[in-house]
Amino acid sequence: MILVVERLTVKRGARVVIDDLALDVAAGELVGIVGKNGCGKSTLLMAVAGVLAPSDGRIVVTGSSVWGGDGERRRARKDVGYVPELADPPGFLLAAELWALCAAARDAPAATPELIERLGLDELRELAIERMSLGQRRRACLGAALLGPPQLLVLDEPDNGLDARRLDALEALLRAHAHAGRAALVATHDAALLDRLGARIVSLG
Amino acid sequence: MWMRVWTRAVIAPAARRAVAVWEGVAIVAAVVFGGNGMRPRDLTDLALRVPAVGAGLAAMWLLLMLPAARGLVRGDAAGYLRALPGPTWTPRLAAAGALVALQLPWLVLWLAGAGARGLIAIAGETVVLAAVARIRPRPPRARRVAWRSAARGLAGVYARALRRCAGDALVRGLGIAVLAGLGAGLFVRNNALAPTEAPAIGAAVIAVVLAPGVAGLAVALLEAHRASAWLAASLGVTEPARRAVLAIALAAVYALGAAIACAASALLVAPATLLYLAPCAIGAAAGSSLFTARALVRAEHELRTGAARTVIGVVAAAAACVLGLGLLGATGVLAIGAAGVLAFATAATGPA
Repeated sequence: MILVVERLTVKRGARVVIDDLALDVAAGELVGIVGKNGCGKSTLLMAVAGVLAPSDGRIVVTGSSVWGGDGERRRARKDVGYVPELADPPGFLLAAELWALCAAARDAPAATPELIERLGLDELRELAIERMSLGQRRRACLGAALLGPPQLLVLDEPDNGLDARRLDALEALLRAHAHAGRAALVATHDAALLDRLGARIVSLG
Repeated sequence: MWMRVWTRAVIAPAARRAVAVWEGVAIVAAVVFGGNGMRPRDLTDLALRVPAVGAGLAAMWLLLMLPAARGLVRGDAAGYLRALPGPTWTPRLAAAGALVALQLPWLVLWLAGAGARGLIAIAGETVVLAAVARIRPRPPRARRVAWRSAARGLAGVYARALRRCAGDALVRGLGIAVLAGLGAGLFVRNNALAPTEAPAIGAAVIAVVLAPGVAGLAVALLEAHRASAWLAASLGVTEPARRAVLAIALAAVYALGAAIACAASALLVAPATLLYLAPCAIGAAAGSSLFTARALVRAEHELRTGAARTVIGVVAAAAACVLGLGLLGATGVLAIGAAGVLAFATAATGPA
């Protein structure tokens, strides 16, 4: 298993958003997280990506606990590439700097020519995040998340803001990711996208 | 309704920034004009008679008001409202009026000091301020960048935040650091302090005067700390490592400010005195920066009070310097460092 989630409970303030959730994602699997607004899709993805601490339960990525000791945390996060819903890294950073930071954190090589070509990363390289459109920001963050590439992609509404060409590229990248024996957790409202990807659907709420 | 929302989006944030400037200016004015000090007329006459003084005064006011003026002139915060049917000229007139009104200390100085002639200075400064506030910085250029670890990368992120988001604060900080050094130098020279006595007193003067120069940079670091939180967490930078990088960035700002101040004080103090003053001032500044770092860590999740908490942290850092150096002399640097480490290590963050 690439991702194992056991008895997960996550609170936002006093509200319990995710209560006692269990989820497994196997190698080569694409899993779509669906549900109505506010059901906890983004919260689940934040907890898996190591951004929001759960109040109970365990999240294990490739054998290392995302919320375990320092060494385990680091190993788990090296195997995760995350794109948040708002795709909002610090706005003053250039895309090239965002990628350099992610590459340094994961000991990852620079983006492959295929990744650059598919996501059109070259035209973003010298742009500051705050000057990008939503679609461009999403592509910059996808480029950062795919560096390595990590064993598990955690993508929060990755299709949001992408034009048709880049949406096709995203689908192709996700399929290739799964074919290589890796996995992805994708939260989206686009059932057709998950259908085209042949993703297993997990409904929250 | 449209104007009410626009006012809340544009005028209110600008007013908050301006009021912070007024408070700082009020303290300086109390010192300069209080008691047997100068009268407003003395200053305005000097500014009109000596072009360098006039230009310096205008430049200082420009730098102080620029952040508030940018919000008013650009109106970016109300971008969404432009898509709704609303008045065209009323917001422009309101912004122009607010731009003049928010320069209250400048208005008072020039009207009290130069009467009707002062209106020319006010109008001229307002026009220049509006023109400079309209300028948008050129986008940064990418250089080849490769970091050896995420923590070093994060340090690079903070450095870029200062360079790209706090240009005004950097210039203000530089000016205030020079002022701090000159103030300390004057204090040491005019009181004929011996080289062994000078460090503690000089360093305390530098710490106090440097405080407003550091505050703006500390707020920029706080914003970068918040903005990079999810990224750092998802990349495996632990919370203690993240805080340590923030503290190092802040210590660098303080130490650099103190170093610039010491360099400026070299114009007034003997080299032998400077030899004692520099390590004392830089050490006290770096040690006390941990009090500000503590405030930033605690302010991370306090969106409404973050700036106020930062200012409190900066004041606490300056107070720690005065207290430590005042009670223990130059050896107080060690006590300030130890107290700073303790304060920083016990900083508890708010809810995530």
